[in-house]
Amino acid sequence: MTLKTLLKFNFKYYRRHALLAVLCLLGISLGVGIVVAVELINDSALASFASSVDFLSGKATNSIISTYGRIDEKYFKTIWENPKVLAATPLVDVVANTLETGSEPIRFLGVDPFLDTPFRDWVPQLANRDQMLRFFGGNPPGVFLSKDLMSRYNLKKDGWLTVLDAGLEKKIRILGPLPENSGAGLNENLAVMDISNAQEVFGRVGRLDRIDLIIDGPVNSALPNLPSGLKITNANSKKSTLTAMLYSFQLNLTAMSLIALFVGVFLIYNFSMFSVLSRRQDMSLLLTLGCDRQSLLLAFLIESLILGALGSLIGLIFGYSVASYSIGKVSSTISQLYFQVNALHVELSGWVVMTGLAVGFLATIVGCAIPAFEVAATPPVLGLKRQSIEDRAKSLRVYLFLVGAMFFVGSIIAAWASRRSVFWGFVSAFGMTTAFALFTPGFLSPFTYYLGLVFKKIFFNLEAFLAARNIGASLSRTSIAVAALAVALSMTIGVDTMIYSFRTSVSAWLDEALKGDLYISPDTTKWDHPLPTALIDQAERDPRIDSIERYSTYEIYLNGKPVKLRIIESEILRRKARFIFVKGSENLAWKEIKNGAVFISESLAFKFNLTVGDSLTLDTPDGPRKFPIVAVTRDYSSDQGTIQMDRTVYKRIWNDDRVQSIALFLKPGVSREDVKKSLADQFKGLERTIVSNRDMRERVLTIFDKTFAPTSTLKGVSLLVALLGVATAMMAILLERSREIRILGYLGLTSGEIGRMNIYQGLIMGFAAYLIASVCGLLLTYIIVYAINYRSFGWSIDITVNRWIFVEGLGLTLLACFLSSLYPTFKLVRTPSGTAIKEE
Amino acid sequence: MKPLLRLVDVRKCYSSGPKCEIFPLAGINFELCQGERAILFGKSGSGKSTFLNIVGGVDSPTKGKVYFDNREITAMSHVGLAYYRRKEVGFIFQSFNLFPTLTVGENVTLPLDMLGIADYTRAHELLAAVGLDGYWNKFPEAISGGEQQRVAIARALAKTPKLILADEPTGNLDQATGNGILKLIDQVCRESNASLIMVTHSADAVWLAPRHYRLKSGLLVEDNYTN
Ligand SMILES: Nc1ncnc2c1ncn2[C@@H]1O[C@H](COP(=O)(O)OP(=O)(O)OP(=O)(O)O)[C@@H](O)[C@H]1O
Ligand SMILES: [Mg+2]
Repeated sequence: MTLKTLLKFNFKYYRRHALLAVLCLLGISLGVGIVVAVELINDSALASFASSVDFLSGKATNSIISTYGRIDEKYFKTIWENPKVLAATPLVDVVANTLETGSEPIRFLGVDPFLDTPFRDWVPQLANRDQMLRFFGGNPPGVFLSKDLMSRYNLKKDGWLTVLDAGLEKKIRILGPLPENSGAGLNENLAVMDISNAQEVFGRVGRLDRIDLIIDGPVNSALPNLPSGLKITNANSKKSTLTAMLYSFQLNLTAMSLIALFVGVFLIYNFSMFSVLSRRQDMSLLLTLGCDRQSLLLAFLIESLILGALGSLIGLIFGYSVASYSIGKVSSTISQLYFQVNALHVELSGWVVMTGLAVGFLATIVGCAIPAFEVAATPPVLGLKRQSIEDRAKSLRVYLFLVGAMFFVGSIIAAWASRRSVFWGFVSAFGMTTAFALFTPGFLSPFTYYLGLVFKKIFFNLEAFLAARNIGASLSRTSIAVAALAVALSMTIGVDTMIYSFRTSVSAWLDEALKGDLYISPDTTKWDHPLPTALIDQAERDPRIDSIERYSTYEIYLNGKPVKLRIIESEILRRKARFIFVKGSENLAWKEIKNGAVFISESLAFKFNLTVGDSLTLDTPDGPRKFPIVAVTRDYSSDQGTIQMDRTVYKRIWNDDRVQSIALFLKPGVSREDVKKSLADQFKGLERTIVSNRDMRERVLTIFDKTFAPTSTLKGVSLLVALLGVATAMMAILLERSREIRILGYLGLTSGEIGRMNIYQGLIMGFAAYLIASVCGLLLTYIIVYAINYRSFGWSIDITVNRWIFVEGLGLTLLACFLSSLYPTFKLVRTPSGTAIKEE
Repeated sequence: MKPLLRLVDVRKCYSSGPKCEIFPLAGINFELCQGERAILFGKSGSGKSTFLNIVGGVDSPTKGKVYFDNREITAMSHVGLAYYRRKEVGFIFQSFNLFPTLTVGENVTLPLDMLGIADYTRAHELLAAVGLDGYWNKFPEAISGGEQQRVAIARALAKTPKLILADEPTGNLDQATGNGILKLIDQVCRESNASLIMVTHSADAVWLAPRHYRLKSGLLVEDNYTN
């Protein structure tokens, strides 16, 4: 028998079962699509800021940045005079929102156009006296804007741009578009202004954000002894720092995409199991007629390759569309949480295409090969009898259960090993899910048996009784579908419970940390926009205000890694707020922080392996300095880790008294609205940034929810994939058991009753999956919280079980199973119950 | 006596186009009274199963009418037919057709469950009558073909139907076992005064009924089976 004949044979099968082929393709393409989409999103985020970094660096070989915030202007001269430095230029580099561009922030670059000439050819060359006057003239300051930005927001030359600096409005004159000498960076939201104007506008008088250099030869010999706190970097190390910051964000996405794929493989397996097994009789006949096993296997292999190719192709298109659709949201989340990225655009790279194809093929081959091998390995005589498959499935389930138990134990060991690397945390989660997937057949068969008895004896519901028994009888089909659904569901329950617990913990922390009545906290805090002193003075003088608490947060470097330094006023906080001390004695800590000790967040303690009693070394203008650690506090504000220091200490050492946000504690009986209004009247724009305690909390929680939004989307997709599995399994049962269903017709069951039985089947499968998933999901929560989350962020989360997650999970599952059983039921009921059976 | 079952000019044809091509039944008139029995012979493909299916309300004739207890079943809806089968007709098949997912007991009581009868004494009696007393909790795959057919007989009679339709009940069994099954059918039908139409190829069955028919070219002819 030739391969061609066999392939034709297989092709005919798919023509008859088109729906199953479609479901299978859908499974592959959903799985591949999600992996591709996540890969694309991760890639384009990285590519975007990499190209942005390159573009902004221009011809600079290196840059000098500060490890504790900003560079004092006075250092520039000595660096510039160094003979090994061929060129140097001082820069103010700051991101700000404007009224005109709304949610799209702009990067403002303050430059000295003469010094900058060797670096960037897109900085405007000032041709005439008039232009010079307007560029350098400070009142009002002028900017050149990228052309793209101007046309997108319909900004005109000589028009106005309203910058929101620390939330307050500042008018700037638009001088015209930036020259477009280089093709790159066209999608950059960029504004260029004179450096001293920029220092003025953004509260940076006397300070620089960066010095760009062109150095000939090795860097270390050129600048052997930089002043303390200055650090020399280049574009590459900047890129890798940013990449590291995105690590956890991307990890989350990647993990979820792998789950979707995992479920997708289940679906493919489910399908091909059915497609192969339902051709079992034909296969056995072919074998008895003299066809050899190799050709048979080869035919199946080619078949699955074709399916894999088609599915992967559709998956690529699907993934590309999903990525293009959601990229806007992702880039705004990244901008909000980590660093400024421009509106991203998705590009399909060869690498992503390869990954997608590889994943699709691998999944298809894993899914299809196992059942095909099973058929080819079965002696033809046995193959002719259908019941023998179920007999084998029955004996198999004991082994599966045992293997599952091994996975279970393995998962616990891996959870324990996660203290070495978070990798083991993922292994643990994967192992736990696999264990429960393997338990499924062992659970399903007694479960459906006794559930059937309950339906019959207690509820006198014949259809449900028969439905339960049917599931138990087609274990080889149903248990795979139920396992896939259980995997997807338990991930959903596990992740949801984790997010809920996390949110509850964050919310509890906010309750303790945020005790002010009003907050002036522009969301530009992360871009270091200090509040004007006039505003702070005003608040301090106001007789209605009991006290104010001044905060600032700076991005600094600890052992070369970016962390947050938060400046607090311990005097006031000790009275007004409540910190959650994980380690360290509260009284001693409050006393010591005034003497120069620091509090560190759990995430910092975890990342740098520090604890109470240790000390950390920070760069200061007078050289490195040690700070003893007196407390580890719970603090979810940044996954990079936070150091808290008293303002008096900071001011003394760094000679810097910037304030980025303040909390106002009102005297009893004073109306918040009144204070809010009278302050906002004096500072234009303040009405947008002065918020109540409750709004402040809400704002933080909104960011939290945004971070987890992609997770929910992915979770939904894997659930969808799993439900397709249920539909496939139901079709499989119908096709296989059509004879029995007809006998039920002979015995007098109406089509309606048979249809009802079929729907019960779907519901019972959903319910069984839900029961498995409840247990597995809860265990997963513990693994995610303790073995993954803690190991990657250092955050401790109190696990809180929300019973609504479970209620909602059950409701959604039953609803979805009901819906996915509708089509098979419709097909079933269309043929009248009494249809003649043919004797074998 | 009024006939229990009456067929009036029943015709059945199968066609792939507008023209009838196969005529398994080409005008059948037939009557059967309560407690009466008939045996149906005929070559393979002569339309015997088609005849039983139409009588049992599983298939509908292309033309003609079927009355049962003075009700015209050919005019019934699908649901009406299902209830007719559920209450009045017991089927016995050549290949037993027990539900592999249900135990012997559950198979026998299934028709009772459908009628909402919670009293299983009749099912237990029948199972004892067919000699399978201790088999209640066994699954069909664990018993022999002859035993399976005995369970199927018990299932067909559990609801005391007025009409038993048996399509080659001994076709899959050896002669000795087959004869045992025939005796059993005789016994249980007599007990419940059920009418019986049985299709068979076997001469061993002739004693079971006084009336013998043969389906030939779609017509029913009386046949005094002798060979
Ligand atoms: N659904 C159908 N479509 C077309 N022809 C059919 C269909 N069902 C039965 N037939 C034809 O009707 C004729 C009668 O079939 P039936 O099953 O009644 O024969 P039978 O007498 O029971 O044969 P056997 O002794 O082999 O069981 C046969 O020629 C068969 O090919
Ligand atoms: Mg027949």
